[in-house]
Amino acid sequence: MMRRWNKSNRWNKSNLWGATPAIAMSTAILVLIAGLAIAYSGAQSNSQRQIDRATVQSQILASTVTAALAFNDRMAAEEYVSALRSDPEILNAAVYDAGGRKFADFSRLKELPVPERLAVSGTKIESNRVTIVTPVAEGPAHLGSVYLRATIDSPAQRLRRYGTIGMLSTMAAIVVAVLGIAHLTLTKANQDLERQSLELAAANQRLLQQIDEREKVEAALRQAQKMEAIGHLTGGVAHDFNNLLQIILASLDMLQRRSMHWNLAANAMRDFRRYLEAATVGGERAASLTRQLLAFARRQPLEPTKVDVNRLVAGMSELLRRTLGETIAVETVLAGGLWSTFADANQLESALVNLAVNARDAMAEGGRLTIETANSSLDENYVRTHDDLEPGQYVMIAVSDTGSGMTREVIAQAFEPFFTTKDIGRGTGLGLSQVYGFVKQSGGHIKIYSEPDRGTTVKLYLPRLVVASDEVQATGPEKQIPKGTRTETILVVEDEDEVRAFSSEMLRELGYGVMEAADGLAALNIIESVPSIQLLFTDIGLPNGLNGRQLAEEALKRRPELKVLFTSGYARHAVAHSGRLDAGVMLLGKPFTYGALAEKVRQVLNA
Amino acid sequence: MTGPGARRCALAVAVWLLALPAGMAKAADPNPLELAVKAAFIYKFQFYVSWPPRAYTAPDSPFKLCIVGDDPFGNLIDQAVSGQRVGGRTIAVARLSSVSVDDHCQMLYLGTEDPRLARQELSAVDGQPVLTITDAISDDSAKGMINFVIADDRVRFEIDDAAAARDGLPISSKLLSVALSVRPLP
Repeated sequence: MMRRWNKSNRWNKSNLWGATPAIAMSTAILVLIAGLAIAYSGAQSNSQRQIDRATVQSQILASTVTAALAFNDRMAAEEYVSALRSDPEILNAAVYDAGGRKFADFSRLKELPVPERLAVSGTKIESNRVTIVTPVAEGPAHLGSVYLRATIDSPAQRLRRYGTIGMLSTMAAIVVAVLGIAHLTLTKANQDLERQSLELAAANQRLLQQIDEREKVEAALRQAQKMEAIGHLTGGVAHDFNNLLQIILASLDMLQRRSMHWNLAANAMRDFRRYLEAATVGGERAASLTRQLLAFARRQPLEPTKVDVNRLVAGMSELLRRTLGETIAVETVLAGGLWSTFADANQLESALVNLAVNARDAMAEGGRLTIETANSSLDENYVRTHDDLEPGQYVMIAVSDTGSGMTREVIAQAFEPFFTTKDIGRGTGLGLSQVYGFVKQSGGHIKIYSEPDRGTTVKLYLPRLVVASDEVQATGPEKQIPKGTRTETILVVEDEDEVRAFSSEMLRELGYGVMEAADGLAALNIIESVPSIQLLFTDIGLPNGLNGRQLAEEALKRRPELKVLFTSGYARHAVAHSGRLDAGVMLLGKPFTYGALAEKVRQVLNA
Repeated sequence: MTGPGARRCALAVAVWLLALPAGMAKAADPNPLELAVKAAFIYKFQFYVSWPPRAYTAPDSPFKLCIVGDDPFGNLIDQAVSGQRVGGRTIAVARLSSVSVDDHCQMLYLGTEDPRLARQELSAVDGQPVLTITDAISDDSAKGMINFVIADDRVRFEIDDAAAARDGLPISSKLLSVALSVRPLP
């Protein structure tokens, strides 16, 4: 109520304030008009009064002079006429007889005499004098006329006398007008000031926004740098682990193969198999973890192909239902006309499974998992506040759950490796890290939308595939391990002796002819001297100035028909651009299994 | 009733006696301009004098200008008053040898210069509202209420305001102001 009163009061005030110049101008004009009118009427009434006075004097003279005229008493007439001399305003006074002849007169000024004969009658007003002729009569008899000439104020005198009033009112009007104008100016200045202050406030607001935005960007950058640092660390560790696991798993593999030919007691054999199995499973789990670490560090070798995300999601539905259990409904909302993307299908599947597992853990009481796909364009505006992201068209995959959600703090740390909110032993803390690393390495973007008790949505953005690439269809897994022949000679290049030894061992087991080299130069020598070599199987990271890729280039110059298969703990170096393989380049990620090696080598040789 | 009749006879004798010197005077001073002025003056005097109602015999009776004795004006007087009115009344000019109360004149001009004769005529209307005019009488006791004189070759007049007032005829100060001399009210 109070506020409304204030508002209306202010409105009134400002309205009155705004009308002041108009009021001032009207007042000024009114004052001016009134002043001029007073001056004019004053001047008019004064001159009229002077005329009236002269007329009255003329009439008095006319009535007193009758006897003098009637009885021809010139002296008496002159006495009457002369009596008017005491009035300084009377210039001439004269009496004429009935015949118009001058009878008696007086003239104040020589240069202004009275006429000898009177012809006119009535009142005649000149600029600064008035001439009045009044008939002299007694009863019915016309005796003559009285002639009276008196000064009246000249226009200049009138102007002088009444101009003062006019001038005063003009000055008053000017003062009022000046006040009005000053008020107008003040009002305008006030408005300018108000506008400037508004602009200042707006500028300040913009500045605050910019600061806020910058803080967000900086936070995003810090987060990215942190992730990058963690990635370097975990990547390095994982790489070394990978080589060790390669040795362990290869050894277990060989041990298992060889043991078939051993003649052990049934008991011993069963124990041996059991421990061997346990070691292999442990090693494989370790390898799996290492892969996830590498994925997070964006150092896993990716094999991107053209991916129809809708088909991939549809194909996973059954797997997801089994993974999530019966208490959780799985729904998919797949956009029609969805663009293709260029990504590693296996890694994308892993990512979706990881997300689904997280969702399941967030929905202990059951709920609904929704996978949604859509075409999406990320504009400059969005991209600016997100590190390392190009504006453009993306295929969006949103995985939503109806679970417990996350706090802001949890979201901030969710992608960090080994960060987990799950009970000890339930999660590795690597799930979201894998997803993050994969998406980033694929040139995409990931975003978590979540609030406690409101569920979680994780959105993956993978770049749209614009140019159709060579179809690199992953062949279905073959049950039968493909073997080789002695005539198919493979050159294994690996700087780490143990890894090279195991690789060679496995290839020989597969039936291939195998030669070995520890670095690029040695490998080139062998290629030149042994023409039977059909496949170069080389590690990408090689010492002594010639890495795997350079080696392959040199070798292909000498032997264009030579087949090449790379292997690497991570594909960061040389082979891949931004960690992604060029189309057509074959790579076997470490650690690899016997089966995987057999399959890949066969694939390359057959290509 | 015999009184007035005897007096009229006496007057007639007096007029006859005076006729000769009057005619001589007339022959000696036949100034027509002077006469015209006097005629005009006689007419104009009535502007400045007020007559009481009792001066008239009836409401519609004319204003009676009586000329007694010699009439020096001829028809000058008649011309001057021709067509004029005094207070709505027509003007009648009566030429009498002698005047009495019964003539009911409002204005009386005595043409004689003889003081004795003048006194005699004046006494006939003494106490009546009659404006008496004498001409060139030098004896104060024989002057009418207005007495023409010649001064500086101009026709002027003397006024006996006291006599006029005594007979109920107030004279306007305007007229007094142009008189050569005035015998004021007591």
